[in-house]
Amino acid sequence: MSNTYIPINMKVEKILVEDPDKALRTFDLSFVNEADEKRFEYMPGQFCEFSLLGKGESPFGIASSPTEPGFLRFTVNRTGSVTNEIHCLREGDVVGIRGPLGNWYPVEKFKGGNIVIIGGGFAFTTLRSLLVYLIEHRQDYGDITVIYGVRNPDLFLYKDELAEWQKRDDLTLHLTIDNPVEGWTGLTGFVPAVVKQVAPGTENAWVVLCGPPIMIKFTLPVLKELDFPDARVYTSLERRMKCGIGKCGRCNIGSKYICIDGPVFSMEEIGEIPEMI
Amino acid sequence: MVNELREKVRKLLADGDVELVIGWEKGSRALAATPAFIESPEDADRLIFDATCGNNPAVYFTKDARRLAKSGRKVGIVVKGCDARSLSLYLAERQAKRENIVIIGVPCRGVLDRNKVADAAGGREVLEYSEEDGKITVRGKDLDLTLDAEDVLSNSCLTCVYPDAREYDIFIGEARDRQDGKDQNAALDEFEKLSPGERWEKMTEVYSRCIRCYACRNVCPSCYCNECFVDQNDPQWVGKTPEITDTMIFHIIRNLHVAGRCVECGACERACPMGLELLLLNRKAAREVEERFGYVTGMDSGEKPAMADFREDEKQDFIMG
Amino acid sequence: MVRLEKKGFADFIRSLAADFAVYAPVTANGKSGFKVIESAEDIDATCLVTDRSPKEVFFPHSEVLFEYDREGVREVEQPAKPIAVWGLRGCDSRGLRLLDMVFGSARQMPENEMFQDPYWKRKYDHSLVFGLACNEPRSTCFCNWLGGDPHGGDGSDVFVVDAGDAFLMEPRTDKGRAFIEKASGLNKASGKDEKKAAQLADAARKMMNPPGELDGLDARLKAVFNEDIWDELAAKCVNCGACAFVCPTCHCFDVQDEGKGGKGKRIRIWDSCMFPIFTMEASGHNPRKLSRDRFRQRFMHKFSYFVDNYGESLCTGCGRCIIACPVNVDIREVVRGVLSYEDKGAR
Repeated sequence: MSNTYIPINMKVEKILVEDPDKALRTFDLSFVNEADEKRFEYMPGQFCEFSLLGKGESPFGIASSPTEPGFLRFTVNRTGSVTNEIHCLREGDVVGIRGPLGNWYPVEKFKGGNIVIIGGGFAFTTLRSLLVYLIEHRQDYGDITVIYGVRNPDLFLYKDELAEWQKRDDLTLHLTIDNPVEGWTGLTGFVPAVVKQVAPGTENAWVVLCGPPIMIKFTLPVLKELDFPDARVYTSLERRMKCGIGKCGRCNIGSKYICIDGPVFSMEEIGEIPEMI
Repeated sequence: MVNELREKVRKLLADGDVELVIGWEKGSRALAATPAFIESPEDADRLIFDATCGNNPAVYFTKDARRLAKSGRKVGIVVKGCDARSLSLYLAERQAKRENIVIIGVPCRGVLDRNKVADAAGGREVLEYSEEDGKITVRGKDLDLTLDAEDVLSNSCLTCVYPDAREYDIFIGEARDRQDGKDQNAALDEFEKLSPGERWEKMTEVYSRCIRCYACRNVCPSCYCNECFVDQNDPQWVGKTPEITDTMIFHIIRNLHVAGRCVECGACERACPMGLELLLLNRKAAREVEERFGYVTGMDSGEKPAMADFREDEKQDFIMG
Repeated sequence: MVRLEKKGFADFIRSLAADFAVYAPVTANGKSGFKVIESAEDIDATCLVTDRSPKEVFFPHSEVLFEYDREGVREVEQPAKPIAVWGLRGCDSRGLRLLDMVFGSARQMPENEMFQDPYWKRKYDHSLVFGLACNEPRSTCFCNWLGGDPHGGDGSDVFVVDAGDAFLMEPRTDKGRAFIEKASGLNKASGKDEKKAAQLADAARKMMNPPGELDGLDARLKAVFNEDIWDELAAKCVNCGACAFVCPTCHCFDVQDEGKGGKGKRIRIWDSCMFPIFTMEASGHNPRKLSRDRFRQRFMHKFSYFVDNYGESLCTGCGRCIIACPVNVDIREVVRGVLSYEDKGAR
């Protein structure tokens, strides 16, 4: 029997500092063992437990898409004891990964529909995975609208890619910042307000929403107002995690374990949970 | 005495002098009462007071980051001598406001050690308990036993010098003063005769049975840090496993943190599901504090605890030789 | 049914210990738990429910997941002998069966190895469980509230009844049958034996407090989730971990790395949803900050969430929490309180 608690080895190939405060770093990891790479099949929305021997583990959404072979991408916000250590990594270091864990965005269900992706802050990680996946399967989906808001222009993740996506004519990308900044040519305003302004029609639409709790709290009523049904609005929830495989009992919200029943949930499912999200 | 207690509490609630009274009521175990939260006058009849009332009710002021103490609610609290000392400590440490508390003292003759009673009962389940004049009677299936209370009292009570509250608003009966001659702590004297190596062995023997449930810490009124040192992970001061090294550090440091603040109520020892002799180190620390600084916890709510105070004239032989 | 004379018990244990690491109730310093025994003398036969639950035989308080150094990761050596447990009461053997549902596989993907806990399976899958009937249940026993029975043996491989002069044994699984076929010192039980066992069972059932009616508890718990009743019920709880740690089914754990200078180990350790920082996030946000939210979580998990996910309650009625709780929170009273609570609207 293989041991699911033992991480597989990954090598740090590239580190990108995303913001001037160096609180956000994007890590591209390659598989040390080819056999591990072959076995690792994942979908947008899933996560991994990032393991640093001697320090511990931390769960991160996978920011790369399964359509991008050879590496896994994670963006890490420096907050606690493990993430601080992760930020000290250098290219060439070996780290551990357990995964892929959790469920994924229901891209099969989304087929033929119009997709609205709404992201805030550094929660854009799995949304990047989803967007790249959708672009690779462009003909299977209808209109794609992306609304991505951050506090100020320095805090956008994947800036180079955002610029590329902006140029595409097969998707609509709205970037917004909280307050006006000189030189900024995009939208200004909090994500909920911008969603109200630019959201496409609800006809055959699916919404995927990821962001800090406060953004979610104020965007959900807007989506309701615009008549997006709860069953068609998806989000990714978070809780403190340890085992990632539904054993240690830490990450539950109601009877749902974020690590095995989630992290992706529709708002309809969430409505049934007694505990607040 | 109990009827007078209930009457007084009924009146306090009916008159609106307090919104809540914390005391004890009969629980589902014969040998240990359970904390009672009385909010309406008719419920005052639930209150009891006897040797099964082992919890220290003061702890509820500081639960949930001092939620009750900060709420500004007027609260009555039924206290034994040791519990009242915890209240004095809270007042000295500015954790509660005197004007929001009505202290109701009850005359305490000591509380039971459940493990001692279980031993005396030969492991047979105790289903009924009664007490009268220094004797306790326990009954159950094939069990009908009367014991001298002294034989089964909690270790804290065998050497209790302050059985009744010294500061109170109401006292049910006559409050006794200091009980002299009771402060002969034979177990502690024995411990002090041991060499450091022997003491370490004794402590290892006691703490190796600890399951790190923290019942001792959580029932202790003196332990109310918002973040306990054992819960910190950055830096990780103590390992969380029940390995003896980590467990020893937990207990030693907890003792140091409550040195000069522990009222020796024994709630920790009574709470321990593994029956550890937890009071040993607490009482050693308390003795040290009294010898060095002439300070006994909870005597005067205006006096700072010894470890929170510095006086130029205090003994400093541990540092100055 | 087969019969083992009490005078043959010492030999029985001796021969069992040749093939298995035998765990049985042992009392030390006044408290009992399941420990490895060498001979029948070590067993405390007076124990009903041990102070420490037997979950620690298969799910130890702290367990090394692996060791690591600069060469890589290394699993720790596994004990050679399979485990046999003697003297498990029905509440405990059932508790192990419930834990096996969590650790043995994932509910959605039972065959997926990613969700199988190897540390549990290596011990439990090959174990031999001797359940022991309770002839004299205590006032704190309430297995009958949850479909249990003092003479039930749920989760046993071999079910044993102490009939005074002999142990009467009944195989309950293939593993149990195989053991009985091979074991020596066992004779076929007589009609009298069967009658004695039935009498003891009857008497034991009568001794128990009548079962509480738990119909609709799962739904009721969800209905009162946001009600004030939890403030009342949780008022005296001090949020230690005594209940969780003595419980035969509580299984929350923490994972910690202990290491220095590139060498160390990853350990899993018992944890409890009652502890203040159980759900504390790195940002400082704590979804269950209040004592009463954590208190509520324990009962929701046991009687509602586990029912949602596995179809049974995560409580076996052993009563250890009732005995161990420093403030006498009584799980039966909590459940009764929830069931009898009237909605503010209804009053």
